[in-house]
Amino acid sequence: MVTTLQPSPEKEAKSSPNPGLRTLIDDLLDEQSTLQTPVARFAEDHDREPDLAGHYRNLIPLTKPGEGEQYAFEVALDRCTGCKACVSACHNLNGLDDDEAWRDTGTLIGGDDAPAWQQTVTTACHHCESPECMHGCPVGAYEKDEETGIVRHLDDQCIGCSYCILKCSYDVPKFSKSRGIVRKCDMCQQRLAEGEAPACVQACPTEAIRIIKVPSNIPGIPERRRKANPTNLFQPERHNPQSGIPHDSVTFPTTRYVGRETPQTAFAADRDKLIPEHAHWPLVLMLVLTQAGIGLLGSSVFAPDSFTQTILGTLLFNAGMVAAVFHLGQPLKAWRFFLGLRTSWLSREILAFSLFAPIPIILCALPLLPDFPYKEFFTLITRISVLPLGFAAVFTSIMIYADTHRSLWSVRRSAPRFFGTVISLLLLGLSIHSPMLRPFAALAIAAKTLPEFIVMRRSQIQGDWSALRHSGRLLLGPLLRITLWRFGLAALSMLLVLFSPWLALPVLIASEILERQLFFQSVHAPKMPGNFGVSSPH
Amino acid sequence: MFNKLLKSKSGPLTAELVQSPGMFGLGKVPTRLAPASTTTSICGYCATGCQLKLHLDQNGQAINLSPQANYPVNLGMACPKGWQALDPLDASDRGTTPLLRDPATGQRRPIDWTNAIQTFVSTFKSVQANHGRDSAAFLSTGQIPLEEMAFLGLLWKSGMGFLHGDANTRQCMATAVTAYKQSFGFDAPPYTYADFEQSDVIVLTGANLAIAHPILWQRIMRNERIPKIIVIDPRATETAQAATQHIQLKPKGDLALYYALAHCIIRDKRTDPESLANTEGIEDFAEFVKDFSPQFVAGQTGLSEETIENLARTVSEPGKRVSWWWTMGINQSYEGVRTAQAIINLCLITGNIGKPGTGPNSVTGQCNAMGSRLFSNTTSLVGGHDFTNQEHRAKVASGLSIPMENIPQDSSLAFDEILRAAEEGKIKALWIVATNPFHSWINSGRLAALRENLDFLVVQDMYHTTESAEVADLYLPAAGWGEKSGCFINSERRIATIKPVRKAPGQALTDFRIFRLLASAWGCGSMFDKWTDPEAAFLQLRNLTKNRPCDITGIESYDHLDHAGGIQWPFPEDITSDEKNAIPDAAERRLFEDGNYHTPNGKARILFEKPAIMPEPPCDLFPFLLLTGRGTSSQWHTQTRTAKSEILKKLYPDQAYVEIHPRDARNLQIENNQKLTIRSRRGEMSATAYIAPTVQRGQLFLPMHYPEVNRLTHPSFDTYSRQPNYKACAVDILIGR
Repeated sequence: MVTTLQPSPEKEAKSSPNPGLRTLIDDLLDEQSTLQTPVARFAEDHDREPDLAGHYRNLIPLTKPGEGEQYAFEVALDRCTGCKACVSACHNLNGLDDDEAWRDTGTLIGGDDAPAWQQTVTTACHHCESPECMHGCPVGAYEKDEETGIVRHLDDQCIGCSYCILKCSYDVPKFSKSRGIVRKCDMCQQRLAEGEAPACVQACPTEAIRIIKVPSNIPGIPERRRKANPTNLFQPERHNPQSGIPHDSVTFPTTRYVGRETPQTAFAADRDKLIPEHAHWPLVLMLVLTQAGIGLLGSSVFAPDSFTQTILGTLLFNAGMVAAVFHLGQPLKAWRFFLGLRTSWLSREILAFSLFAPIPIILCALPLLPDFPYKEFFTLITRISVLPLGFAAVFTSIMIYADTHRSLWSVRRSAPRFFGTVISLLLLGLSIHSPMLRPFAALAIAAKTLPEFIVMRRSQIQGDWSALRHSGRLLLGPLLRITLWRFGLAALSMLLVLFSPWLALPVLIASEILERQLFFQSVHAPKMPGNFGVSSPH
Repeated sequence: MFNKLLKSKSGPLTAELVQSPGMFGLGKVPTRLAPASTTTSICGYCATGCQLKLHLDQNGQAINLSPQANYPVNLGMACPKGWQALDPLDASDRGTTPLLRDPATGQRRPIDWTNAIQTFVSTFKSVQANHGRDSAAFLSTGQIPLEEMAFLGLLWKSGMGFLHGDANTRQCMATAVTAYKQSFGFDAPPYTYADFEQSDVIVLTGANLAIAHPILWQRIMRNERIPKIIVIDPRATETAQAATQHIQLKPKGDLALYYALAHCIIRDKRTDPESLANTEGIEDFAEFVKDFSPQFVAGQTGLSEETIENLARTVSEPGKRVSWWWTMGINQSYEGVRTAQAIINLCLITGNIGKPGTGPNSVTGQCNAMGSRLFSNTTSLVGGHDFTNQEHRAKVASGLSIPMENIPQDSSLAFDEILRAAEEGKIKALWIVATNPFHSWINSGRLAALRENLDFLVVQDMYHTTESAEVADLYLPAAGWGEKSGCFINSERRIATIKPVRKAPGQALTDFRIFRLLASAWGCGSMFDKWTDPEAAFLQLRNLTKNRPCDITGIESYDHLDHAGGIQWPFPEDITSDEKNAIPDAAERRLFEDGNYHTPNGKARILFEKPAIMPEPPCDLFPFLLLTGRGTSSQWHTQTRTAKSEILKKLYPDQAYVEIHPRDARNLQIENNQKLTIRSRRGEMSATAYIAPTVQRGQLFLPMHYPEVNRLTHPSFDTYSRQPNYKACAVDILIGR
């Protein structure tokens, strides 16, 4: 870079002071920092009917939903051109955080055949007939409004457990880090209540989004609706699992997508993008440590002089319980967990683990306590209860994930993993005192890797897209390094357990932690179609 | 009580989202963002010219915005860029102080304005003294108000005494300017947006309105005449997919196609004699297009004879209103001017001009490209005048109190010629204002080499991080849209105001104020004594337009513009009072309703030329033809601003992607999302595969927003407009990055 012409600024300034210029600079800087914007004139300063009322009057129902009806979004796919103003309007008119919008858009790609078929799909909350977010919430922070059917989130009730995020098939509730809670679309119910249209409805230049009233009584409705609405985006009659479009048979979303039929070949533009899901570290540690603890405690039950195992099992279990608290954005509000017992496996898990939690403490305390009547009987009962209650508690953990309807987390895929951790640790613990059990411990560790191998094998077979294939591709793609460590450590622990179970123990736990990290990160989370090439995780 | 304990239905978190009436016709707004007052401003992105309503707090600072209802352009709507227009103002890389590169370390370091201005002035003075008036140039923009454009152009040419200056509008609508000028005698896009709603046949060619101008697509959707919407485009764009008919022609087959249409129309005697009477050159044209039978052009256009014959009938249907709309697909071509004129010819011969729902209509790109066409003092003399015209120079000189000899008679070099002169060492110093050519210019790799040849590069911009600002010797921090006042002119010639609603960060100043400082320091401050603020400048510029086709002497003030909902030019002082009173209602006006054009004899010229050969067709080594264009509605040009909004970022791919036809992908064993390298003779870049039959076989499409894309593009230019040919060059694909 040649800069020969450039004078030294300091010298220049000193040699030719220019007071006139300096004054002008000061004046202009002053001017720049004063705002003298001519503000609203005319009758602008008093309230009047919203300027856009005429525009949206026929985009919202004239009357409130009647008996057996609820509000729903209707999206005219043929009118939507993908300008995405709905997302911006949602952000601005609801005063959301910098990167927060409760409406999102994505694209469906029609496949290889010409003429090209692409469709922008705008999505907010579907205000489902059977909202899984609500059913999963342990503290009753969701309500389905009886009059309007709007699924409302009670921000001050939320404990930030994020389970609703896992439960929603459409990726609707979003975690707000700064607040430690989830927030979501409420169909601008405050606006609707006053006869104003929701932000997205107001803002769509082509009037592609409107509010309609739909029948809302779960029994019987699904069948009728499927026949009545052949263009349903969710393809209920001939759902193509390769499309990456979530199935609607769990929650019965109320949003109607009309105006353009979706070809059978259509798939979500972000379907093939391999982005690992959140690791949920507190949950990883909670699951592995509680399961390891239960396994070790279980082994101590069979060995009379295994106080070390009891102590260690108790420590692990409680460490897991503590880790769980870190998953909550608002842990102080979690005492209300019992409100969800009727529908939420998370409530049930909290109950089950709370019931189990005293047992390890008692087991540790008993040998240290002075004798009391029936102490031996009491000790026996406590010991016998460890494994049945422990397995029951782990079962609730399994159901939490199974209830999300994610392929990788089905009972048949997660039960071997979760129970497998308990059994591996149980056998490892037993083999401390019974060396002949060591090969069985090694075998258990090996057997436990099978479900993971099966998933990875899926991705190697040429074939159509599926959620499991997606998981396999993640394990062997972006997550490959973790996968290798997971299996490397498992192999090492198998070897070590033959010689020294104590040495094998930390290696096995580390391997299991990675296994559980992969459990969370490699899952395919069903969601509405996203955009091509947007790489931030949803 | 117990229930309340169990269910917290209210509290601080719930309160954050509570809404209350926003007043000012807004309906409900978040209570914590309820405005104390509001004002309006035209959006600072594209030339649609949507008006936004800014929600201000007690101190007059904007805290939110929404589109302005009842504004004749956008009718209460905006695209995401408009909705998020305030976001880029808060970015952390805003320039807050001038920066000067230290020659010793090569690092830029902060200096004060006094030093910055003196460095600028002494350097450019020394360049001028040593190498003459041709040795420096400015490159500016279509993104600043017209008052600032005029100030820059006059300061540079009449104040400082340089000659060369051009704007990024060269990349955007130079072709339309030249085409209109040659055909109509003045650069006069004849339409008004209401024409979208009043057409029976809407032909969109080289225009992806649904994505690039969503609000104009909205206007089409409001057309109640059940129009036939025909999209002529090599790519199945979002607009093409939404149209009633997509004519997927071969790239650059357009000129031949339009001549073939003229051939059929003249052959079938479907011309309009009344309109033809106002033209000249029809005989030669009829003779010329005799060769262009549909059969003859079938190969060039890739269209069947039947398709062409049908199209010719559709666009010449007697009694039907046919409007033609084009954007960059036509403008950014090596033969764009003749192609635009081929469209103009079709309108002239079928009488589709000067009537509701008709017209050869160029939709412009940047928010104030139309302002630059009249006032930037680059290609034409400020106020719609001609540098070569003695009378015009005299009029401007007396109007602005500038000595006649300070107005150059000769024209400036065009953008590409300025860069070539810089490469050749003839231009030593360059001043870049509010544009980012190191990203956006065609074959951008050349710019880096050119930088080495420049003695001094000044970049004046909102951000110190643009590709261009990063390599500047001197960086001047500019206030942006939202921090300044002035006027924009939109595509339909509507003049409207923007307002300052935010304080600029640090010591950033509006371009207007920077020009004032420079004028004062250069020693030509007295020439701009009256230029105290943008409105004062506007009134002077307004007076200059007297008796020109763009006469706006009837505009009284910024206030007048705001009350009227923007005013389309022309709006002469002597406009009848009836007309004046009717303006807010009859806010839509079109040109040439009387059949009089601005040529000396009042007749429109029918201009034509044999189609040229594509400068860089695909070959064995580079077998694919690369098309470029707008990616999404949430991205703007080089993304200097749109990449600053977290919301907009959610709405577009953060990395470049390349559209490829499924059959081509299969042959090359390319999978969706696979990383590819796209290579041209000039450079290479990596992009993710997006497999879709939106492009034809043998063609690729890359969105222009990623800086790498212009490493590939081919530096060829339209002969008449010097606009770069961004949309056709030969490339190859390699698998892997």
